[in-house]
Amino acid sequence: MLCVEVDAKGDLARALGASASSFQPKVVQPNVSVLGLHAEESLQEYLRIYFKVPRFTRLTPLAKVFEFIATGLPGTSDMLVIGKIAYEAKRTDGGRPVWDLIIVDSAATGHVLPQLGAARAMMDLARGGIVRSQVEWIDAILSDPRRSLLTICALPEEMPVSEALDLHDRVKAETTIGLGACFLNRVFPVGVTARQLHALEELCAEPHLDAARERLGGDPRPVLEGDRLAQRLHDTGAAHARRLRAGMSVPVVEIPLQTTARPGLSTTRAVAAALRAASS
Amino acid sequence: MSSRSPAGIVEQLGGLEVVVCAGSGGVGKTTVSAALGLAMVAELDRRVLVLTVDPARRLATALGLGRMGAEPVPVPAARLRKAGIQPKGEMVAAMLDMKSAWDLMVERHSPTRESAERILANRFYQGISNAFVGSQDWMAMETLYELHAGREYDTVVIDTPPSRNALDFLEAPNRLSDFVGARLLSWLAGPSRLGWRAINVAAAPFARMADRLIGAEVLGELAAFVREIQGLYGGVQERAAEVYDLLRSPQTGFVVVTTLEPEPFAEAEFFCARLRDYRMPLRAVAVNRVLPTALGDPSGAAAATALVEDREVAAWMSAELGEQVRPETARRLGEAHLILHRLAERQDRQLSRLGSLGRVPVVRLPLAEREVVDIEGLAQLVGWFRDGTG
Repeated sequence: MLCVEVDAKGDLARALGASASSFQPKVVQPNVSVLGLHAEESLQEYLRIYFKVPRFTRLTPLAKVFEFIATGLPGTSDMLVIGKIAYEAKRTDGGRPVWDLIIVDSAATGHVLPQLGAARAMMDLARGGIVRSQVEWIDAILSDPRRSLLTICALPEEMPVSEALDLHDRVKAETTIGLGACFLNRVFPVGVTARQLHALEELCAEPHLDAARERLGGDPRPVLEGDRLAQRLHDTGAAHARRLRAGMSVPVVEIPLQTTARPGLSTTRAVAAALRAASS
Repeated sequence: MSSRSPAGIVEQLGGLEVVVCAGSGGVGKTTVSAALGLAMVAELDRRVLVLTVDPARRLATALGLGRMGAEPVPVPAARLRKAGIQPKGEMVAAMLDMKSAWDLMVERHSPTRESAERILANRFYQGISNAFVGSQDWMAMETLYELHAGREYDTVVIDTPPSRNALDFLEAPNRLSDFVGARLLSWLAGPSRLGWRAINVAAAPFARMADRLIGAEVLGELAAFVREIQGLYGGVQERAAEVYDLLRSPQTGFVVVTTLEPEPFAEAEFFCARLRDYRMPLRAVAVNRVLPTALGDPSGAAAATALVEDREVAAWMSAELGEQVRPETARRLGEAHLILHRLAERQDRQLSRLGSLGRVPVVRLPLAEREVVDIEGLAQLVGWFRDGTG
């Protein structure tokens, strides 16, 4: 499996227990590799494969031209990102696909549609040449729901849920890309009812507070403050999950909030376990 | 980080002409921008424009407006009063309209009307301006400059584009200038005058490659497009310099927005360092969604642990309160608190690193009691800007 991060900041590599990603796929876990995309390197690789242009140093005038094309021309970097992913999807070794599955950590919600639509946009611009045939096969890979699916991630808050629903509707209306699932991340996992909260409120009031402190070995009032917030987070999360389910044509999978000390492999494993539990 | 209270931060920021709210995606930049704008008009007799460039139209929803477009829309004073804000100033909201911004830029910088029309009609231009978002940062800066230059507003608060890389918009003016200048692409603009065969020796392999890539016909069209947009170069280069001057001006301030989650915080640290490199003025840091300090209280954690682990505690609660309390109730009450306690501990570790962002005032915005989805929700945050209390 290949995990791809489109901005090469290294967050995905760190989540998989590696220090950083690079443009060359790096094995980070058994059967899991990670790749960080750079538009400039994608262009260099493209030219090397299709035009036998040798790798050049950053100091040459030609390098400056390609750096400009990769990073300066609007849309080129989107095209290079999508093109590299499609190339990896197509790559074979001994007649077998190199990767069984490619998972892409895509651009932010507002950027993802134009990125996914870059091949279509390029098809409108380029009517001939190599690029035309290449964007056609890129578009074919993206448009085939047996090969590519878009999953939508959201947080249990008003705006991210609105954005997720908006993205869902636009993907269906404006693209040929299939939708797989919606992941609702960081759902507060423990609900507290008003009745349960009431018992704690009573315990925190006179004449019970001193006895409660002694029996519990600590102050119950911060617990009450936390539980009030927990109730709000849980209830609004549940409402958002209902809203998502009502508006989505694909399954909505809830992933509980993780409280590990810092993000990394342990958090990733916990999320993976939650996903396994949700799908079983 | 300064120990200075954020009191006075609204006056300080509201006295500026441009406030840029920046930070990584998902930290609540739009919410913070809108709440800051509200705090300004609540405290100061200023005309404040809040410009969002977010295509998800978050600000429109948060401000209770319908559909925003290129035209700025005043937020009615009656609507603010209904939300508990007595405005001294006037708040106006606007959203970046990408297509209009591109067209305006072409019209503004083209040497002739005919040239502008040829560019606007060119399908490469239409493709770029309609389809690709790599240009969003560029147009945000262009629109910011225009709004500032128009002098209609005392302060423009801009919510930067949603991006995985918050730095993109800092590079935007130069990239735009490079794009239309593109001396490196002069070879491409030349052939229609001299023919492809006359292209110079150094560029010939590159031209052949381009020909194979996109075909001669399209290459010719692209050449015409490049020739036209090179006519924009002088104006755009001048504008890029002006935008950088504006962003470095004492009348401009950056507010870096972050949460205490590790990834956005690390990005905020990086961003603050780059602002120093660019000599752009960081004026404040807004830490969003801060958990109440009580949640980190070890005494509370001890009580919550007892609620989870002490098998007799439910029976004791029943006797103490004179009503039945189930073991499930005690366990849930404890577990829910302990989840938040662990998050609060993680948050405290991040808070100790705030100093790495710079010696500027810090506004801590709490995880709101209710979700910020409307103007009442934004109004909740105004007090935290004003004097650090809700």
